[in-house]
Amino acid sequence: MRKDLLLVAVIVLIGVILFKGTKIQSVEEYYLTHIDDITPESETIKISIRVDAVLEHLDKLPESLRSEKYIPKDGIILEETEYVLRPGDTVFDVLLRATRHHKIPFDYQGSEENRFGSVYIKGINHLYEYDCGPLSGWMYTVNGEFPDEGVSKYKLEDGDVIAIQYTCDLGRDLGHPYDEKEVNP
Amino acid sequence: MRGFATFHPFVLFLYYAMVLIITMLMLHPVILVLSLFGSLLFFLTIAPLRQFLLDLGFYFLMFLLVAITNPLFVHKGETILFFLNDDPVTLEAIIYGFVIATMLVAVIFWSKSFSEILTTDKFLYVFGKVVPKSALVLSMAFQFIPLFKRQIKKVHEAQKTLGLYTSNSITDRILGGIRVFNSILTWSLESSIHRADAMKARGYGLPKRSNFSLYKFEKRDLGIIGALFVMFFVIIFAYIKQYFAFNYYPAISDFTDTKQYFFYFLFVFMLTILPFMMEMKENLLWTFLKRKISASPIRNKKNVS
Repeated sequence: MRKDLLLVAVIVLIGVILFKGTKIQSVEEYYLTHIDDITPESETIKISIRVDAVLEHLDKLPESLRSEKYIPKDGIILEETEYVLRPGDTVFDVLLRATRHHKIPFDYQGSEENRFGSVYIKGINHLYEYDCGPLSGWMYTVNGEFPDEGVSKYKLEDGDVIAIQYTCDLGRDLGHPYDEKEVNP
Repeated sequence: MRGFATFHPFVLFLYYAMVLIITMLMLHPVILVLSLFGSLLFFLTIAPLRQFLLDLGFYFLMFLLVAITNPLFVHKGETILFFLNDDPVTLEAIIYGFVIATMLVAVIFWSKSFSEILTTDKFLYVFGKVVPKSALVLSMAFQFIPLFKRQIKKVHEAQKTLGLYTSNSITDRILGGIRVFNSILTWSLESSIHRADAMKARGYGLPKRSNFSLYKFEKRDLGIIGALFVMFFVIIFAYIKQYFAFNYYPAISDFTDTKQYFFYFLFVFMLTILPFMMEMKENLLWTFLKRKISASPIRNKKNVS
C-alpha cells in the first residue's frame, strides 16, 4: 500500500507541474501588448512585412489562400513601421512585437526545436513555407542585405531597417545572390 | 452462411485494399465518417457485442488523445480560441485533429475486421505463390498482436497459479505485468524464428510445391470484382477531378461542394457499407429460413400427434 501512495504522489506531482507550466490567455489578453512610446532620444528601427513575390505566382498558391485577406493586392502585410529598439533586441524580438501589436498571425519554430539554434519563421498572416512551391518561404533583410544568421541571432542597431519578405524562388526573386554565393563563398 | 467472409480471398483482399486506399487518401470529413461508419457496422456483425463495446471504448479514448494532440503542435488556422503558453490554439487545428483521429480509428477498425475475415491461411493463399517470403513475414506481422495477447493471457494465468499477483497494490500488479510482458517479448522473437525455420523445413516457397485449398473462384466473385472496380474508379475519378477537395487551413471549407457532388459520395457510401449489407442479407435470409423450418408440415404433424 505504501508503494501505491508513492505512485499517487508522483502522479499528483506531474499534474501540478503540468498545471503550473501552462499559461492560458484569451485572445484579447495576448494581443494587449505594451509598445514603448517613441521619444526623440530613443533608439528606433523600422520593420515591414511584404509578399510582393507571391503576386506574380498566384496560380501556385493553394486555392484556399487566393484571397485578399491573406495576400493583399499591394503586397503589403505590414507597411514600414517604426519601433523602439530595446537593448539586446534581435530581429525576432522586433518581429514578434510588431505582429503582436498589429494582430498579425505569426507562427514560428522555436530556437530550441531545430539544430540551427535560431527561430525559424514558418508562417505570417496564414501564408506558410512551401505554400508557393517547394522553394518558397520567409526571408529577411537588414538594411537591404541578407544576413547569414537566423532571425533570433541577429542583434539590431539603431536605425536598422528590416524587411521581412516572402520568396517563391529561394530568394532569387528578392534579389538574393544565391547562385554567386555558392560559387565564391 | 454465405456472408462476406465466404468470398474468394482475392476479392476480400481487393476490397480491403480499395477501402484502405480511399480512407487514407481522402481527407474529406464526409468520406471519413462514412468509412468509420461502415467499418464499425461491419465489425459489429462479426465480433461479439461485448468485445465490440470494449474496443469502442478504448478507441474512443485514443480518438480523443489524437484529436487534442494536433492543436498543441499545429498553430495554423484563422479562428484563435485562446493562447496556450503564447501559442495560439485554433478551431481549425482542433477540427483537423478530429478528422485525422476519425481516419485513424476507421483504418484500425477496417484492419480489425481484416484480420478476422482475411485469416493468415487466406492471405498466404493469395500471396504465397507470388511473393512467398514477404507473404510469410506479412502474415506473421498481421497475427502478431492477437498471438501476443493470447500468450500474455496464458503466462498471466500460469503466474497466478504460482501464487503471484496476490498483492492488492496497484504498483505491484503493474510491475508483475511488466515482467510478463518482458518474457513474452523474448518468447515472440524466438517463436518467429522457429516458425520461419519450420516453414523452410516443410519446403515452403519452393517452386514445385503444391498446396491444398478450398477456395474456388465463382461467378459471384467475378460479379463483385466488377462492381468493386466500377465503384473504385468512379471514386478515384472524382478525387482526381477535385470533387472531394476540402481545405482545413487557414479556414475550413463549407459543404456546398459536398452537396453539389452528392452523387459521388453515394459511391463511397456503397463501397464502405457493402460488407455490412452482405452480412445483413445473410442474417435476414437465415432468420427467414429458420421460420420456414418451424412452419414446415413435418413439424406441424409432430405437434398435432
